[in-house]
Amino acid sequence: MTGPQATLILATALGAVGMWQLLPRAGARGKLLGAACLAVALGLWASRMPLLADWVQSGLFFILAGVTIVAAVATVTMRNPVYCAIWFGMTLLGTAGLLLLAGAEFLAVATIVVYAGAILVTFLFVLMLAQTEGRAWYDRSAWEALVSAVAGIVIVGLLSVTTSGVLLAKGDKAAERAAAKRVAAERAAAERAAAIAAEGKGDRPAAERVLAAERVLAELRKAAERAAAIAAAAEGKGDRQADDGVLAEHHVARFGAELFGRHLIAIEVAGTLLLAALVGAAAIVSQTRDGRTSGEDSP
Amino acid sequence: MPDTKTLLILIPALPLAASLLTAVLGARVLRERSHWPTVVAIALSCVASLLLIYRVHHGIDERAAAGEKGRDGAARLVSGGPARQHGAEGESEAAEPEPKVDYEHVVSIWTWAVVDDAYELENDDPSAAVDARTSEMRSFSISVTLRADPLTAIMLGMVTFISMLIAVYSIGYMHHDPGYWRFFSYIPLFVFSMTMLVSVSNFVLLYVFWEAVGFCSYILIGFWYHKPEAAAAGKKAFLVNRVGDFGFALGLFLLWTAFGTLDFHDVKLARDADTGRAVVLHDTELVTDAAQPGQVSAGVLGRERIDRQGEWLAQHGPKATGGPYHHGTLLAMAICLLLMLGACGKSAQFPLHVWLPDAMEGPTPVSALIHAATMVTAGVYMVARCMPLFLASTTAQFVVAVIGGFTALLAALIAMTQTDLKRILAYSTISQLGYMFLGLGAATLLGVTAGMFHLFTHAFFKALLFLGAGSVMHAMAGVIDVRRFGGLRRVMPATHWTFLFGCLALAGIFPFAGFWSKDLILEAIHEQAGGGAGALMYQALYWAAVATAGLTAFYTFRAYFLTFWGKEMIPEEAGDHAHESPRVMTLPLMILALCALGVGAFFELTHGFARFLGHTPSAVYHAGLAPAAEHGEALDLTIPLTGTAVAVGGILMAALLYLGPREKLVGGLTAVMTRLGLYRVSHRKFYFDEIYYGFVVGPLKVLAWLSYAVDRFVIDGLVNVCGMVPKAFGATLRPLQNGMIQFYALAMILGLLVLMGALLPFFN
Amino acid sequence: MNPEAALLNNYLIVGAMLFGIGMIGFLSRRNMIVMFLAAEMMLQGVSLTLVAFARFHNDYGGQMLVVFVIAVAACEAAIALALVLMLVRRSGKLDVAVWHALREADQPAFAEEEPPEEPAEPQEPSPQLTQAGLTPEIPREETEYRPRV
Repeated sequence: MTGPQATLILATALGAVGMWQLLPRAGARGKLLGAACLAVALGLWASRMPLLADWVQSGLFFILAGVTIVAAVATVTMRNPVYCAIWFGMTLLGTAGLLLLAGAEFLAVATIVVYAGAILVTFLFVLMLAQTEGRAWYDRSAWEALVSAVAGIVIVGLLSVTTSGVLLAKGDKAAERAAAKRVAAERAAAERAAAIAAEGKGDRPAAERVLAAERVLAELRKAAERAAAIAAAAEGKGDRQADDGVLAEHHVARFGAELFGRHLIAIEVAGTLLLAALVGAAAIVSQTRDGRTSGEDSP
Repeated sequence: MPDTKTLLILIPALPLAASLLTAVLGARVLRERSHWPTVVAIALSCVASLLLIYRVHHGIDERAAAGEKGRDGAARLVSGGPARQHGAEGESEAAEPEPKVDYEHVVSIWTWAVVDDAYELENDDPSAAVDARTSEMRSFSISVTLRADPLTAIMLGMVTFISMLIAVYSIGYMHHDPGYWRFFSYIPLFVFSMTMLVSVSNFVLLYVFWEAVGFCSYILIGFWYHKPEAAAAGKKAFLVNRVGDFGFALGLFLLWTAFGTLDFHDVKLARDADTGRAVVLHDTELVTDAAQPGQVSAGVLGRERIDRQGEWLAQHGPKATGGPYHHGTLLAMAICLLLMLGACGKSAQFPLHVWLPDAMEGPTPVSALIHAATMVTAGVYMVARCMPLFLASTTAQFVVAVIGGFTALLAALIAMTQTDLKRILAYSTISQLGYMFLGLGAATLLGVTAGMFHLFTHAFFKALLFLGAGSVMHAMAGVIDVRRFGGLRRVMPATHWTFLFGCLALAGIFPFAGFWSKDLILEAIHEQAGGGAGALMYQALYWAAVATAGLTAFYTFRAYFLTFWGKEMIPEEAGDHAHESPRVMTLPLMILALCALGVGAFFELTHGFARFLGHTPSAVYHAGLAPAAEHGEALDLTIPLTGTAVAVGGILMAALLYLGPREKLVGGLTAVMTRLGLYRVSHRKFYFDEIYYGFVVGPLKVLAWLSYAVDRFVIDGLVNVCGMVPKAFGATLRPLQNGMIQFYALAMILGLLVLMGALLPFFN
Repeated sequence: MNPEAALLNNYLIVGAMLFGIGMIGFLSRRNMIVMFLAAEMMLQGVSLTLVAFARFHNDYGGQMLVVFVIAVAACEAAIALALVLMLVRRSGKLDVAVWHALREADQPAFAEEEPPEEPAEPQEPSPQLTQAGLTPEIPREETEYRPRV
């Protein structure tokens, strides 16, 4: 068993134990142990995650990720549902930060506004409407804590194994492919040059031959540039901000153009969906306790 | 006058048509007139049979005049042969009798089935090809082929004549029965089956009609089907016959494998011009003439084989076994014993005799027709027909004779103590059939003639006796226990006198019919007892036959005296019924009584029967001693005198015990016999039914119960288990639906985990 | 590993963690509100994953999908909470385990062990909203004299 695999398995096991202990179980006290296990597990996991481009990025990422995960765990394991909601807000903040780091500025803010500002608040409203007096038993006992914890952490483990495995392999393969592509591009350029050169041979006036030679050079340069660009793109280097990509300037404008350009119909449908949800929610809630629609006269 | 083919077809076809007509129209249209189609049809059949006899006789004369004979082998056969002869061969050789003429006329009506290339001939088979390079593949064809020869003609005449008389009698006997039309539909069906049985010319159809008469017997015995004893008796008859039929079928299979054909007759072959292969001719009126070898497909009992066997025997000596006729002594013995098993079933011989007394549950005309005169004689007919086969194996001949003799004695002993008049007559039938087989077991021309002649005469007087018993039963309103009525000679004079004639014929008193035929049988046995193989056994059989003759006379006249003599006793059920039967019933009785009186003397003294029968193709084979008188020797009266002496002795014994008030004597004798244990053994029919029940029916019942248990527990259990598997499967899966939403989600997640785990290797 | 791939890898792992933790919460918590919170957390993890792929492939498509995820999450929350309110009205509890009637006929119902006697803790009443439109009662001292500005 290789090192990374052993680390992963250990991390999975510790994480499962930790989550299990942390979950609200009837009459069990293991929060401290759980927290410790979970912390160790997170540390092990973090050790497997490679560093990013520079230390700023790495630092920001790990801090934000740590906050998000801790808040997420807290959300799920709190006994008081209101506390759960608050911690969920924390999670949302962390997520927003991560989204920002990844170059999705609009989405980061949208998360805060929509999720934390609207959805979370709605949850709190409902909690307050529906919450009974006192602490309910069902808040403090989880259903099948062990199985859920194991299932969840195993899924995380599998996903991370898949991801790392694929990306690692992909990275190597990508480099090979990049090299292969460069070689192919250069060869193609050389062939084209040779073709133009051959065309240029024969009985032709000198001016034409010069023009032909210049054309050949331009072609070669473009080909080289293209090859380099392809290689750089394959290797992930290069200035992302320079192209039309995600990290370009005027992100929101581009975002809007993309959204209302290519995905116009989807946006309209989403709006209709929101309307339908609104109407539906109102219709559902308007029924009274014994099933009659409110507003009718009671006999 | 119609030709032979038409006659052969008409004789069975008319009763069949009558049966169908009555079946269709009897219930609604004909009702009390239902007897007309039957009587008319059978009468016409009888006329046709007589015409057929005339035709056959004429044909024989024509042949003799034209100088046709069997081949030289047959001529030589007459003087020497494999049968046991007493006296030196020199004596017979010197006699040089004229060559015998045989006659058969075979008509093929319709080909039922043909299987090409079914059998490959061996080179030494009588009909093997001249050209041995090509292999001869014969086809197996079953065609409805009828034959007219003396044996068939005799049987047809007897069957139709007696059927006609019994049909007329039944008009009176079944007069008030609600199933009147049904009866007159069954009777011609039976007559059709029986006439076809004796007319067909191959073994397959013989088997078919063998079964058909068995079936008709079943439906006629169980005619009053709502009576449980009658239904049970019908079943018993059918099942016991089945045992015999099984043996018969096995014999057929062996015949096929040995001979490659199941026809009696030889069939002409045509050569296919293209391939040179032999093609059997079907659907033609075949008159088999002697032909070149390779141009005939030899039948099992055909002239070809008989002549070849005769030639072979002439070369190898009369006592040699083997030859081209059969393919090994063991095989011949097996075939004959199996055929004999079939005959035992049909003709109620030991060990398959148990069904005949119970068959008396049927109406009395049925008993008279089927179980006295016709169906039970089918076995005798079959053995007589297959005599050439039996001649190949002396063991088989012994077996036939022993079975016949033993059954005759056994049945006579049982009949002595029975109290049911019809049952006495039934055991008497069994005993007389034993006599016939005894005659056939002698395996000489004399023996065969004796057996057939006894069959012929027995039909008349046994039918007479049964019809007389029926008349008594009719008058006594169904009571047939001889202890309950008596002194009926003044009440029913016609029945009395005809019954007396029948009894005298059965006892074998000169000049009644039974005397002549019984005498012939005794002579045949005595001849075999004189010397040759198995002489000692034949000697024993002779004395057994003599003793049986005495017993026969005794029990017959016991029944007669108990019924018609003594104090006049009428049971209460009879009431005013006790009067003579109507003319329609007594007329057949009188005709039969005349036949019982005269038919024996007429046919025997003119030697007509023996001569006529001797022209059957299979009979030509026998070393011929005609009946002793034909040879012109001085009449040897030892045997007739012995027979008459024991018969008269039996009658006197019966008169001593039963004529007049001798209760004390009878009671004393009965007590002695009971003390000796003999009375009960005889009265209980030697416990055969109990033995069979214990050894055969009992294990079968256990087997049936086992089968039921297997079916119910194993097979049904398997099916139930199959049904329980989905149930169990469902019960296993049902807890998955426990209503908990989170459980469902967990199940989904676990499934997802499994999928991911399975797909993971593909990513790395 | 090149930096873009490293970024992607890390984001994917974090997204997976959010997803997994949300799943644990959904499967084990019995309070319906908390269950839905956990479901929303799963959606957050998905959003992170989508954005990470968008960054890696330099394609806005991932971010578009996240927009729709947010929209759908909002609809879902609305409907879900409406349903939760109906269920609470019916049963009086926020417990999801009471709704087990749609099970097979011969399966036993979800039986809960008896909750132990809880010591009576001083309960702070949950914050309650005042009825809308009404003036809250404020003690007179508060309106007249404020100890601090």
